[in-house]
Amino acid sequence: MSREPQNISEEELVARLREGDTKAVSQLYDMYNAALYGVVLQIVKVEETAEDVLQEAFVKIWNSFPSYDASKGRLFTWMINVCRNLAIDKIRSKQHRVSLKTREIPASPRADMGSDSFKPEHIGLREITEALNPDQKLIIDLMYFEGLTQSEIADEYQIPLGTVKTRARSAIKVLAKMFKGRG
Amino acid sequence: MVNQEEYIASGILELYAAGALSPAEQQEVEQVAAASPEVRYALDEALVAMEGYARAHAVTPNPALKNRIIQQIEDQQLEREAMAAEVRPLYGEQESSPYKWMFAASITLFLLSGVLSFYFYSRWQTAENRLAQAEAQEQLLAQNFNTVSQRVAQQERLVRLLRDENYRPVKLQGVEAHPEANAIVYWNPSQQNVFIDQGQLPAPPAGRQYQLWALLDGKPIDAGMLQQDAQANLQQMKQVGAAQAFAITLEPEGGSVNPTMEQLYVLGEVQS
Repeated sequence: MSREPQNISEEELVARLREGDTKAVSQLYDMYNAALYGVVLQIVKVEETAEDVLQEAFVKIWNSFPSYDASKGRLFTWMINVCRNLAIDKIRSKQHRVSLKTREIPASPRADMGSDSFKPEHIGLREITEALNPDQKLIIDLMYFEGLTQSEIADEYQIPLGTVKTRARSAIKVLAKMFKGRG
Repeated sequence: MVNQEEYIASGILELYAAGALSPAEQQEVEQVAAASPEVRYALDEALVAMEGYARAHAVTPNPALKNRIIQQIEDQQLEREAMAAEVRPLYGEQESSPYKWMFAASITLFLLSGVLSFYFYSRWQTAENRLAQAEAQEQLLAQNFNTVSQRVAQQERLVRLLRDENYRPVKLQGVEAHPEANAIVYWNPSQQNVFIDQGQLPAPPAGRQYQLWALLDGKPIDAGMLQQDAQANLQQMKQVGAAQAFAITLEPEGGSVNPTMEQLYVLGEVQS
């Protein structure tokens, strides 16, 4: 199950997308669908909603591709941001909140399965969870998957804002150490 | 200039990577990163870290999702191409058509009004000319009618005189010097009315006028001046009670007290 870029370089893919080559979307999907879907699913929790969000996100990525500036940031980061923003908008919409009111947040039921879809050299979630302490992981997850601001986290979890900032920094430093040279 | 080490140490890059910044703050980070390779490197490190974290959560979606997404994008693309090919120009036309239409209409109306103005102006001119002609003709007709009716009145008067037994016609014959001249006087001695039918008299020279005289016992009595323009008409003269003859002489305008006998033109005795 190899979904990673292999046949085509990112530069070539970007160029083809910029030209409006619809076939490049297929390539783009193959390369990033699992990673993006995983992020969206983490945010919206519901598979059906996650699929809708991913579809919406790909259409948006396709339509707003001319605005993607490679010098400003990496393609994957840009795409994740599109997905995250749509997913966070979704969970913040009233409708979704109501539908989720009684639902418990599942503990990433397919997260471990998802990690199987990576090549052996990729670091799995279990490794990361072991490397991060629970406080750090919580802060990162709240920011990254819940779209909460640091002051919102501080308010909701009764943690001083300074501590939230420190934990976020240290979490990313741990991750950076783990992923160094893999970007 | 931002101190790069301090900026990197501030933790803002990590927050950026974790998506915790507002759009304005994000933009600021991007600007600083674009200006500084060190910051760019540190930012990329943080981004790679979060990308790795994201990938660690990867889940393969339902395989059918890919077809749905590709289908939607292709449909959208086809729709857009169709719009570009057909709807856009139509839209453009629709958008500007009221103005284009009004512009064209105003030009058409302008030209049309110009043509119509010229057409109606020339019609009006023709009508004016014809009206003037008609008015002139009507005046002429009225004049003619007046003349005719005057003549008819004259003729009626003449007929009346001729029928009236009390009127005596007196024929004035041209004298030796003017043999071709003649005139007729109709005289009613009881009513003393005198009418003259000028007959044939040469046109008087300028400043001269014919004068009628009644002759009684060798004495001439002024019977009035002959009107030049009423040559063909019967003209009523001064009243004459008794006369043995009538004569016409050419006199200075306004007439003379005594006739200039050298200028006698016609003469006629009253038949008893």
